[in-house]
Amino acid sequence: MSSLVIRGLDTMDIGDIVGIDEKITKQYRPEVWEARCAYYLRRDPDAAVVCVADGTVVGFMLGEVRSGEFGLEEPTGWIEVLGVDPEHQGKAIGRQLADAMLDYFKRRGAKTVRTLVDEEMADIAGFFDSLGFQPSSLRPFVKTL
Amino acid sequence: MAVSEVKLPKNFHQAVEDWRDTFLPDYQFLLDSWEKHFPKEPMFKLCAYREMGVCANIECGAKEGQPKATKPSELDEDQAQHLLGAIRAQASTEFGSIQQHRLTLARAQSEEEQVWVLRMMAEELRHGYQMLHLLVDDDWTCQTQQSSADMVEEILSMQTGSHVLGAFNIDFDSFVDNIVFCALIDRVGKYQLAMQKVSAYKPMAESMPQMLREEAFHLATGVVPMRRWATQAAEGEVYVTMEMMQKAINKWLPRGLEMFGDERGGGSNVRMGLKPMKNAEAQADYYQEVAKVVDDLNIRYLRAKVKDLSIGEARELLANLERGRGKAKGVDHAELLRMPDRDFFRRRGVPAFTMVGFEGETYDLYQDYVQHLRKHLPESYLAGRDFRDYAETLKKVAAGEMTAEDGARKMPELRRVGGSCPCSKSVRWVRGESEEGTKLPVMGG
Repeated sequence: MSSLVIRGLDTMDIGDIVGIDEKITKQYRPEVWEARCAYYLRRDPDAAVVCVADGTVVGFMLGEVRSGEFGLEEPTGWIEVLGVDPEHQGKAIGRQLADAMLDYFKRRGAKTVRTLVDEEMADIAGFFDSLGFQPSSLRPFVKTL
Repeated sequence: MAVSEVKLPKNFHQAVEDWRDTFLPDYQFLLDSWEKHFPKEPMFKLCAYREMGVCANIECGAKEGQPKATKPSELDEDQAQHLLGAIRAQASTEFGSIQQHRLTLARAQSEEEQVWVLRMMAEELRHGYQMLHLLVDDDWTCQTQQSSADMVEEILSMQTGSHVLGAFNIDFDSFVDNIVFCALIDRVGKYQLAMQKVSAYKPMAESMPQMLREEAFHLATGVVPMRRWATQAAEGEVYVTMEMMQKAINKWLPRGLEMFGDERGGGSNVRMGLKPMKNAEAQADYYQEVAKVVDDLNIRYLRAKVKDLSIGEARELLANLERGRGKAKGVDHAELLRMPDRDFFRRRGVPAFTMVGFEGETYDLYQDYVQHLRKHLPESYLAGRDFRDYAETLKKVAAGEMTAEDGARKMPELRRVGGSCPCSKSVRWVRGESEEGTKLPVMGG
């Protein structure tokens, strides 16, 4: 089994991330990931992490530390996107990415880390549950316009 | 991780602001359009950042494990001279790139790309400021005869043509240069900063983390537009073609490789604990990284050109085209981007003036080689001074009138040595306390 390396996001990862998203969603969306990666690279590239096996990105987790959102004044870590190549699932890649990201959030002064998960995505909810995440009193509200 | 924010003493800070007003006149436009392009992101600040909590002990070399130096007097003479050279070179590149980018910034076809480059320029200014902070924050008089004011003055007076590294002495010819430079030359910057993160001089190591974070976006400022251009080219747009990108890569990649220093060197830096890798090792990694970027751009091109191609099929098609060099699925191999040979168009280091072609083939005759270069480099660049200086030097080396080593030392020609512009002879960027408040005349260039 090839060794896995966790490191910060780099522009050369965009193509691999597009590929992982395509395997998961069956949609080819390079523009979406170019814009997203550019955003995270601009905000804080150390807060966005990828997992590399044999020179190819096989998992990624994008997030950042923000203050002042939703009345949360203290620095809060936000995990916004997680993707693991289906061919590499079952290797604890998500956990390794989360460990690296949460460690960085902590060093950046965040006391809390938050994310939003669709109720229908039970496997993702289970993943965060296994990391020690608990349901929050902060509930999402949506209105169609 | 605590980060301290430091400003230079007033007269030095003012000198950088005056320099900014001359070489970055769109700075105010950047601030005015910040909210539109970078909503909710912290506004740019001209200051130095020092990250606390970096490793306190030397991480490589002969003194590994011993405490890092916290002031210049704790460095030995050799270490101090190497470090001073590195700080000056780093500062020179930061200010130098702004002078290059400003030439063609206004030619951007997309407002987003233009504002990204502008933000990157402001951050390069901050990186230069960070290096000046290292020169003025501590007392270097034990290591150099130059005062802090003179060191800062020397750096701020450099212009395209008098900078320390070759890549920063070449004028930009179009906005393609702005973008390809970010993708290739800023990538070398990333390597240098990452290596200096372990520096045996703690203030240097503390300066690197924030610079590295900002550098990541500078690479995106290059790579993301290149990806978009590759798509547009595949769809038949004529603005930026694959050929234009290829020629810009051919222009900048050799200079990027040379920024690592001579392939035989770098051992002293490792021994002194200033960097963890020798030149050749870092250069090889860099070349591989650029090859990956080129591969990604080709995949992006193929998938835009051949509809409904899966990622796997695109990779297979790319491999086939590279193997056979022919045509497949309506794409000609010649349409794709390729990596120039590592020794192509080199004027420093081991392959300097060896007349190695794009594919790695060698040329015996000067005339044949310059004709080969003519085919592979941008036309506007061929018409410039840098290429002419190179060609004239190569001619002498090829004729045996000059050694390759002397030729390498000669490149680039320092036509605009710091302070050579007429107005600069009477103007100092750094003013004494008594001169504060006096408006500095704008330096022309």
